[in-house]
Amino acid sequence: MNNYIKFTTLIILAVVLQTSILPHYIIAAYKPDLLLVIMVYLALRTPANHTVFSAYLLGLLKDVLGGIYLGLNGFSFVLFCLLLKAVSDRLYVQSSILYVLTVGAATAITTIINLLLLIIFSQGENLITAAATLLLPHLLMNMFIASIVTAMPRYFAPLDSK
Amino acid sequence: MGVTASHAAKRIAHVGIASMFEFIRKNRLFFIAGIGLLAALLVYTLNLPRVEKANLVERAAGNIMAPVQAEASRAAAFPLRIWNEYLSLVGVARENQLLKDDIRTMNERLALLEETRQENQRLTALLNLKDKAVEKTVSARVIGEDVTPWFKTITINCGFDDGVQDGMPVLAAGGIVGRTIKVSAGSSKVMLLTDNASGISAIIQRSRARGVVKGKGEDLCSLEFAMRGEDVQVGDQVVSSGLGGVFAKGHLIGEVTMVKKGEFGVFQTVTIRPSVNISRLEEVLVVLHKSVE
Repeated sequence: MNNYIKFTTLIILAVVLQTSILPHYIIAAYKPDLLLVIMVYLALRTPANHTVFSAYLLGLLKDVLGGIYLGLNGFSFVLFCLLLKAVSDRLYVQSSILYVLTVGAATAITTIINLLLLIIFSQGENLITAAATLLLPHLLMNMFIASIVTAMPRYFAPLDSK
Repeated sequence: MGVTASHAAKRIAHVGIASMFEFIRKNRLFFIAGIGLLAALLVYTLNLPRVEKANLVERAAGNIMAPVQAEASRAAAFPLRIWNEYLSLVGVARENQLLKDDIRTMNERLALLEETRQENQRLTALLNLKDKAVEKTVSARVIGEDVTPWFKTITINCGFDDGVQDGMPVLAAGGIVGRTIKVSAGSSKVMLLTDNASGISAIIQRSRARGVVKGKGEDLCSLEFAMRGEDVQVGDQVVSSGLGGVFAKGHLIGEVTMVKKGEFGVFQTVTIRPSVNISRLEEVLVVLHKSVE
């Protein structure tokens, strides 16, 4: 229960930071995706039973707070989380470099999945140019945030599997 | 003979079903993952027809997050205000002089415009046309921005408790900002005119050339469907045409920054810079009554 409260508080803090505080100081292209950073952390470091559902909820939350398409990031987060879970048993998940690289990969892959879904089901053609321009700074920013997360002492602490 | 055949068929069917269950049991993780993905995809596709309306989940999230976002936004703006108002005063004297010059020029223009307005009033009365209805507005504060860099939406601290509904025009001092979507009790999202899903019927103020202003996903827009032969030049002001039922006629949208006419094709490529500085929005006006012509 304690973990759930901590996790919910962390999510609320991330949302407030991302939507209401950082925009005052950071331009749109360098906006980090804190929910994605948290999702990758969960996918790499927590047991499988709750991770996929948590990833879906994080994706839905991102949809509620950004854009107009509910379920878009929900789908891409779940897909990426499943892919990561499929290979995470064979990875040294405590490696900080792996985490930073995975966050970079997650940024690129979820963006591509979102673009594909928008092109197939909606009007995503206009977004291709924007995504091509903004993807690199966005990806670098997310990796930078991930590297800060790995610098926190808590990152290397053993996780409670309950 | 017939009984034996029927018995064999039943047995084959039984074995088939059993082996299918065995296959599912062995690969249950894949099946669960597949069903989960399908469900996630269904949520997305089923919501597509009403992307601009807030559902129960979105309203609940909006109601929970809006007060926290409002306070956080106010707190975050404080150090910035201190910096802008007290510390960053280098060059203020020079800027002051420039602004005074600007005011003088503006006053001259204002006098000319007043003449034109009065003339317009006389002519309108002469033609017995109805005046534009006075638009009722509510002011709102920007309390949140989109979490992604691809979509261009903001969250404001007004919702249907303040009379705001989906599809209402949102304006700022410089001109059009966008329109309201996903309205909840105490907050609403605004789809900015720079969002790729936004479209506003517009005209070039000087030449009256028509087109649709579409967002480009960055901080720019484009004028779509402007015929190749139409007179559009860099520096032209673009205003809303009043068609489309959201924005009243004559609201400033932006300025033409690039015109490109290819050798072929029916339309020309026109890029527009919005008149409102989208990235520095703090307060906006929501027009409660849709345009009346």
